[in-house]
Amino acid sequence: MTEGTLIPWLLAGIPLLGVLASLPFRSDPERLKWSAIVWGVICLGSVVGFAGQVAMPPEGLLPLYLLPLAAIISILGQPVYEEHGPSWMLTLLILGLGLSVVSSPSPLSLLSLTLLLILIAVLLYRHHSALWPRSWWGIGAYSLGAAFAVVSVAADPPLSSVASLVACAVLLPLVPFHDGHLTALTRLPGSLPSFIVVLLPVAGLHRLVATMPTVPDSVAWTVSLFALLGASYGALKALAQSRVRLLLAYGSLSFFSIVWWFAAASRMVTPRSALLVGTIGLATSGLMIGWQVIRTRYGDDVDPQAISGLATGMPHYAVLLSLLALAAMGLPPFGVFAGFMGLLLSSPFPSLFGLFVTLLAWLAASWYIMQMVQRLLFGVRRPELRYTDLLRTEMASLLIVVLVLLALGLAPATLFTPEGMLLGTAPTGEWPTWNR
Amino acid sequence: MEPLNRAIDIESRRMELRGVVRLAGEVIAQYWPMRTFVHHNPLHSLEYLPFEETVRRGKQFMGGSGYLPSCQYRAYYAAGRIRQEDLDIALKPLACESQVLIGSQKLTHADVLRACLIEGLCDPIVEPLDTQLPDASQELIDSLAKKLLLVMPVRDLSKRIEAIVQDDVADLGRWLTLSHWCDDTLGTHIVQQINDQLIKWCEAFLDEGHATWAMPEREKGMYQAWKTIAAHEWSPCGIVDSGRKISALPNHPEDALLESLDALGIPSDLRQDYLSLQLTALPGWAGFIKWRGEERDYPWQQSYPAGLVKFLAIRLWYARELVQKACREELGIDGRFEAVIAYMRSQPEEYYLRRQRVAGRLPALYAEEVDRLTHQRGTGWSAVLQRYRTEVVPRQQEAARKGMAKRLVALARSFETDPAALTETSTDILKQVIEWMEAFPESDHGPIWLKALERGYQVNLLTQLHRPKDRQPTTDASHATSARPYSQSVYCIDVRSEPFRRHLESTGAHETYGFAGFFAAFIRYRAWGKEHDTEQFPVIMRAKNEVREIPRSYLDHKVSTHQTRTKWVHAGHTLLHDLKENVVTPYVMVESLGWFYGIPIFGKTLLPSLYRRWTAWMQRLFVPAIATTLTVDKLAPADTAEMVAAEQQAIVRKALQEQLGLRSSRMTPALVESLRQHALSGSDEPDQPLLQAAAQAGLSKDTLVGLTDVLRRQYELNARAASHHKERITRTGFTLEEQTITVDTALRMMGLTKNFARLVLFCAHGSTSDNNPYESALDCGACGGNEGKPNARVLAMMANNPQVRARLTKNGIEIPSDTHFIAGQMDTTTDAVQLFDLEDVPPTHRADLARLQEDLHEAAELTSQERCARLPDVVQPLPGYKARAHVRTRSTDWSQVRPEWGLSGNAAFIIARRELTKELDLGGRVFLHSYDYREDPTNRLLEVLLTAPQVVAQWINMEHYFSTTDNDVYGSGSKIYHNVVGRLGIMSGPWSDLRLGLARQTVMNGEVPYHEPMRLLTIIEAPRERIDKLIGRHEVLQHYYHNQWVHLVVFDPGDAVWYRYDPKGMWNVIS
Repeated sequence: MTEGTLIPWLLAGIPLLGVLASLPFRSDPERLKWSAIVWGVICLGSVVGFAGQVAMPPEGLLPLYLLPLAAIISILGQPVYEEHGPSWMLTLLILGLGLSVVSSPSPLSLLSLTLLLILIAVLLYRHHSALWPRSWWGIGAYSLGAAFAVVSVAADPPLSSVASLVACAVLLPLVPFHDGHLTALTRLPGSLPSFIVVLLPVAGLHRLVATMPTVPDSVAWTVSLFALLGASYGALKALAQSRVRLLLAYGSLSFFSIVWWFAAASRMVTPRSALLVGTIGLATSGLMIGWQVIRTRYGDDVDPQAISGLATGMPHYAVLLSLLALAAMGLPPFGVFAGFMGLLLSSPFPSLFGLFVTLLAWLAASWYIMQMVQRLLFGVRRPELRYTDLLRTEMASLLIVVLVLLALGLAPATLFTPEGMLLGTAPTGEWPTWNR
Repeated sequence: MEPLNRAIDIESRRMELRGVVRLAGEVIAQYWPMRTFVHHNPLHSLEYLPFEETVRRGKQFMGGSGYLPSCQYRAYYAAGRIRQEDLDIALKPLACESQVLIGSQKLTHADVLRACLIEGLCDPIVEPLDTQLPDASQELIDSLAKKLLLVMPVRDLSKRIEAIVQDDVADLGRWLTLSHWCDDTLGTHIVQQINDQLIKWCEAFLDEGHATWAMPEREKGMYQAWKTIAAHEWSPCGIVDSGRKISALPNHPEDALLESLDALGIPSDLRQDYLSLQLTALPGWAGFIKWRGEERDYPWQQSYPAGLVKFLAIRLWYARELVQKACREELGIDGRFEAVIAYMRSQPEEYYLRRQRVAGRLPALYAEEVDRLTHQRGTGWSAVLQRYRTEVVPRQQEAARKGMAKRLVALARSFETDPAALTETSTDILKQVIEWMEAFPESDHGPIWLKALERGYQVNLLTQLHRPKDRQPTTDASHATSARPYSQSVYCIDVRSEPFRRHLESTGAHETYGFAGFFAAFIRYRAWGKEHDTEQFPVIMRAKNEVREIPRSYLDHKVSTHQTRTKWVHAGHTLLHDLKENVVTPYVMVESLGWFYGIPIFGKTLLPSLYRRWTAWMQRLFVPAIATTLTVDKLAPADTAEMVAAEQQAIVRKALQEQLGLRSSRMTPALVESLRQHALSGSDEPDQPLLQAAAQAGLSKDTLVGLTDVLRRQYELNARAASHHKERITRTGFTLEEQTITVDTALRMMGLTKNFARLVLFCAHGSTSDNNPYESALDCGACGGNEGKPNARVLAMMANNPQVRARLTKNGIEIPSDTHFIAGQMDTTTDAVQLFDLEDVPPTHRADLARLQEDLHEAAELTSQERCARLPDVVQPLPGYKARAHVRTRSTDWSQVRPEWGLSGNAAFIIARRELTKELDLGGRVFLHSYDYREDPTNRLLEVLLTAPQVVAQWINMEHYFSTTDNDVYGSGSKIYHNVVGRLGIMSGPWSDLRLGLARQTVMNGEVPYHEPMRLLTIIEAPRERIDKLIGRHEVLQHYYHNQWVHLVVFDPGDAVWYRYDPKGMWNVIS
């Protein structure tokens, strides 16, 4: 038991130790990067090693595995560039906090969450630009999330439930608390956006497990309404975007809203929800790394309209980006599809209208994601662009995302969760079973 | 008086506009229908300009590149195809004597220019503001970039904006339409919207029987038909109240076009350029309309007239409406030329930011700020620009310096100099090198690379031709080969004939000649059982003789059976087509007959050769082929009159039966003949003999008058129609004089005037392929994109005519009595040669014929083998029989995008005796025209060769050239996406411009050009002074040689020296 109590500290501590251990390499970007990756791998190894000894969260162990993996691929996909150094260390730091949120018991988890939200708000403030006034909304959203996280402990029900729900809505983005998500994905530097898009939704889902069953019916109904609104709004806004990071932010908002709708309808969060949230986050993270590849070559500020014809000039990149796009738009055999179908077939849905809206939002993803990919990969080859195909680290990063998404789409649902939990009962079986 | 003056004024404005449109149309080439694909220069109308200038104009008007991408030329250089020596010679006019010292390395101006070409140092790459890719030389680049701060001038943003505004103001109307301007500034898609509309209307209006439901009202002409129907459309492209606006347009297209030009405020001095730009937005459809407008006799044009004025009237209406809408909504200004100019001048900062935004050149946050200002009609443009000036511009300048530093490092490395030496080099030297590099941008590299590429080929070819003295062709007229060859055969000048001729000559004592594939027979030809004529001559010529294929007289008894069966087959096809295209029947048909379509699908896919043989067998079974001959001899006047009379009498009988129900037993010859005469006479009152004959048949005078009227109107039995018919018949065939001239000209031009063999073969060419809209592109260009079989048969029949031979003897060409001419056709896809009219070969020539056939077969096999080696999907060298089988399969494979390479690879045109090229392997890249200057003392024949076959060769060459350099613009893209439209052309996908030029698979081998794009090299064996005279006489030749469309090299038999003709008109000796 004592060991079980120490393990969350250990899991959270390894990345923090990694930050300290990487500090001496600050002036050498290459060594710093590899140090961060090595500590990420150690963290992943420790998660795998100690997974059997931590208390099984209701959403299963998948989120726990995904966090270090997302941190590794996010750092791996970055170029060796001096300015990215701080973001790699921050990624490790945030990973530590995130693991603490997901694996620690309540007081420590809450503290970690509050620290995490405050840290992100501070980072957003540091990277604020007058040309992007919307950052203030994002900073406000995360500050609000931190405040409500504290309130959720301090207040009595039902206020605590509602406060906890708002904190969850900031983490796992839900309209109208989605500005933090949009700002974090568009304004944070280096490897942070592609990591945070996995971390925060997973953390939000983890909090939602305890919150959802406690909220009053009227609140659940309102959440359901906002979820549908968010799914449509996210899809429509994504369709209208020309900037890739905003498109991905709105697209993921649309998908995460679908999870909210299922959760509000069933008043519970299952491992299948975790699968969907994790894969949406991972696919979005992969696409953000894909976009980072472009920024590495053509600058952080590049307008996607100025890029085309990558399919001929960067064939490896084109193949991997296309596969990621297929995964992100929810096509089989990737994890997003498996998660979506898992929820669709296992959850009760109160209204056909709601189902229709979620399906439309799902379909819309095929449009805006494909449009983005098509615009980048095809069209004329531009003489003013220098086409350089993927570096080894970039290739490894994207390939890992694709393979993991593929594995999550094909692996049995019970791989990360005992079958009993999957069905809402106590664990009964030891072996994973194929049920899709 | 006032209305009259006004009418005159309107008419003169219309005439003036038609002239402007005609001149505006010069920039686009005519587009011939696909069934008679004509190779032509897509920039043909601009040949009066130097080649390089025309290429520039093509880029500006159509966006097409006239040179290969530099990386491709660099690949040629790396592969040794372009040699450094050739590159240096091409660079010589650009290089000055200066030199600089970098480290210990001395670099001349020429060295730097060469390095720019070979290393791609002047690529127009825009350095990103903050590239993060690792670079081992980053430190060096950074330090060098710092040093360049002193060298590279910093250009003020305000001045840059001012220059951009000035340039755009100057370009508007000349190189930029208002629609383009809106698209570039406001991010609209007006050009695409207009193109979509025009494609829709052109596709519907110009359809030639492809559409099941044809567009109504077409007989009114293109503009009126559009006006009638488009008025019923609901708000096309979002144009409000479009129906009323279209209905209110003038009835004359000229007036509508003028109205639109006035509405757009286009100044009169810019109108020609402006209309050119409008035409080049859809060069395919506009090119076809241009062609139709010039072909007044074309039946579809007669029925449904179209023209560039009508096209432009429609186009500019959309343009004016959409430009007005965009300018009003986005900028709050009028969509007029002067308002747009005023906007650019008064709001330069806003204009600059908008343009940068649309072009994707603004950093993302600035792009969003511009979007916000646009949507909110904000006024903070100056503030954004000020921030841009302080935040972005310095980064841009730093990026530019880093870019230049990278180039300098690459330059140093290309000379194996330590790049670190650059940091030690003085700024003056660096400045000098940068100036050299900047003065030689990549856009200037194309002409240099092209010259080097051409020079390499020319040197090789001339080295091959420039043989030792003892092997050079003799200039002594008396030194003619006296041994009689097995056969003589004449092939088209087409480059595909060259390998076949070489191989045939290698099989035995066969002599071959090259001649334009229409064999001097300008004929309009109608094959047996066909309803339409084909024009068997180069498109730049006109025919006055018609030839028909008719069954041989001894087969009269079989003709009716043949016709009946053909009719049944035709009826079956029609029924099937109607069932497929009907609204209801396809539902039933798919279920009941759909399965049968599986047979051709599987047959063509899995066993193409077998399926082809099976269908041919079926065809022979149902409708056996029938031996035919041609109507080569012209009818005598009496015979013509008799034939016309007989046909008219048949019409009268038919009318009597159909209109009056008169039985044939009551139609006396006198009645029929009198009635015919009366109908033709034009008189209203029947004469006495007619009245008597009519009375015998029981017809009253009134009935007779009525019938006469019907005969004249409905049955077209009147003097005018009769005259036309008679004239048509008299055009059929050739008089004896015409035949003699034709044969005499042909034989003299090809130099075949003595030492005739027992068999002389005129071998035309055609091709076989399946599912290939470009089929006619593989046929004979000299025969108007048709097979040359009829021409070969006509010439052989004329040459076999004893009366013609007798006259030829008087002209000095004595053809032995035992010489027989036969016609044949080579299939360029399978290399098989088919001989025709063999029943006319005398029995005495059977052995000669057998030997010729055997050698032709062997030559075909060798040619197939040679061709297979060039096909990209044939890996191993194939033995002869396998090569033949392979090319046969290829010709029947309906999935084959490249049945043969066609004329790809063409590079030169040799006008000389065969002795000059005999035994040389010219790689199937040379047009060979036989010509013996000794037979042409008056220079008449050479004049014809240079102004006709050379023109055809140049068109073919330029078609291939431009289709290779920019296949998307000047070619037709990949065959995979092609769709036949309107039975007249090709579109890419379901909705595009008519695709010009050749398909990608015709000129490219994957990503690499198979056809090396080079200008034609014409090599002539003739005295120079004769050629000088011809160049002086013909403008087309001056354009070709002085404007560098064609390179000219001459082998002067006078001094046996090779000369090159330069663009200034001077002859330079080739050493």
